[in-house]
Amino acid sequence: MKTRTRDSLRKLNNILHRDLGYFFAGLIIAYSLSGIALNHIDEWNPDFIISKTTLNFERTYDRRSITDEDIATLSSRAGESSFRLYDFPSERQVKIYFRNATLLVDLEEGTGEYEKISRRPLFYQVNVLHRNSVKWWKWASDIFAGTLIVITVTGMLMLRGRNGFAGRGKWLISAGMIPPLIAVVIQHMQ
Amino acid sequence: MPYLRDLHLYCLAAAFLLLISSCGPSHRENHKEHTGEKKIGILLLNHGSRSERWKEPLLELEERVSEKILEIEGVGGIETAFMEHARPSIADGLKAFDSAGCSDIVVIPIFLTVGTHMFDDIPTIIGLKANPASLEKLKLENIERYTPEARVHLAPPLDFSDILKKNALRRAGGLSVEPQHEGLVLVGYGSTEFDRQWTELFDEVGDHISRETGITEHATAWCGHVAHYSPDSTTAVVRRMLSKKQRAIVIPLLVSTSEAFQIDIIGNAIAALKDHGKRVSYKPDAILPDPDLERWVIDIAREYADSIGTRRISSPTVHQ
Repeated sequence: MKTRTRDSLRKLNNILHRDLGYFFAGLIIAYSLSGIALNHIDEWNPDFIISKTTLNFERTYDRRSITDEDIATLSSRAGESSFRLYDFPSERQVKIYFRNATLLVDLEEGTGEYEKISRRPLFYQVNVLHRNSVKWWKWASDIFAGTLIVITVTGMLMLRGRNGFAGRGKWLISAGMIPPLIAVVIQHMQ
Repeated sequence: MPYLRDLHLYCLAAAFLLLISSCGPSHRENHKEHTGEKKIGILLLNHGSRSERWKEPLLELEERVSEKILEIEGVGGIETAFMEHARPSIADGLKAFDSAGCSDIVVIPIFLTVGTHMFDDIPTIIGLKANPASLEKLKLENIERYTPEARVHLAPPLDFSDILKKNALRRAGGLSVEPQHEGLVLVGYGSTEFDRQWTELFDEVGDHISRETGITEHATAWCGHVAHYSPDSTTAVVRRMLSKKQRAIVIPLLVSTSEAFQIDIIGNAIAALKDHGKRVSYKPDAILPDPDLERWVIDIAREYADSIGTRRISSPTVHQ
């Protein structure tokens, strides 16, 4: 290949890497954040902040004789002026529904757990993207994934010489493949 | 003939009257008022899965019960719906019944017992409740809510009958060789919020099998969200059982079969045990197919259809 052609290709390669990198910078950070959040889904709720308050009503109730007035009283103790509806998860419990919260009352113990749910700022939004909660986003996400490959490959070909792919590049790429390979081998052995 | 000449005018007037009569006021008030005429849709509802293998038995269930259910007076249709991961969705099913002009829809959940889906998510999807956590979750998981024009009746889950006991007994009996030397492990999905109900149900099923077969020990393992979908919990329970008994019989108490649960989670949990080939009896099957469950579906459909005819039921659990 002529030197001029090679230089033009390399220039195109670098432009692609630079501009695609700029264009997708926000999304790369969003997906990385969401990736960390969803990785730990068993340890925390990455989408919602659920605040719980325990209440003591200092009296017990009987499911069979509970009235709307009782429910209103229980609701007011949780700071709610009105309730939407109530239902009985079990013989000894009643769950009261409010606009943005619920109150689960243990009728026999006279205690309750008031639970309020709100979206976890930033994480909820990035998780919406990562989970493809918007139907058409799947396609945008596919394009993004394809572009990440382009950014990576163009990144590998950016430099020449001892810092290029043929130099330290090949060693670092090989080293980077070791941790995932170890993980796959361990999983296979189990 | 003059009256024929004006026929198109009569037709236009009739179409106009039909149009204005079909436009109701608000959505809630739009429940069809019935003058003794009932048309009931039966919606067989299950959790749903991406696995085709999981969906098949549920679609077959609909096929097997259809004929008998459609013979019930007032029943005009039957559909299967999946809560998530598969179509038709619950909203699809409800819309189909609305389009067919149903006055009532009986939702029969093919769920083991009460859980967050049964108690909050499903009633929220079908418009009986508006649980804040469910509303957020449904939005995030792209599950459509739909409040049908028809009246909706939510039937109880399977634990209100003896189906689970009979089903697990039949399956355990098929694997048991020497009951006195065997221990039974029932594996279920589990629930964080309704742990007590799930534990009690599985204990009841285990006690029943013990009484009927002579298998004296039984234990429960969870394989769902509670156990982080990991085989470790099942492995630990079966291992404990094998420390007391010569053999363990493992029965998955799951509605249908999927690669993820019966093969990956439970299968791998057993494969991790030493001598599992000799000491563990396990068949990666499910509650379905089950003739008793089919009968239960038909019976519950009939019971609700009769009650709707005499207006003895409305929404069974929700107090507004």
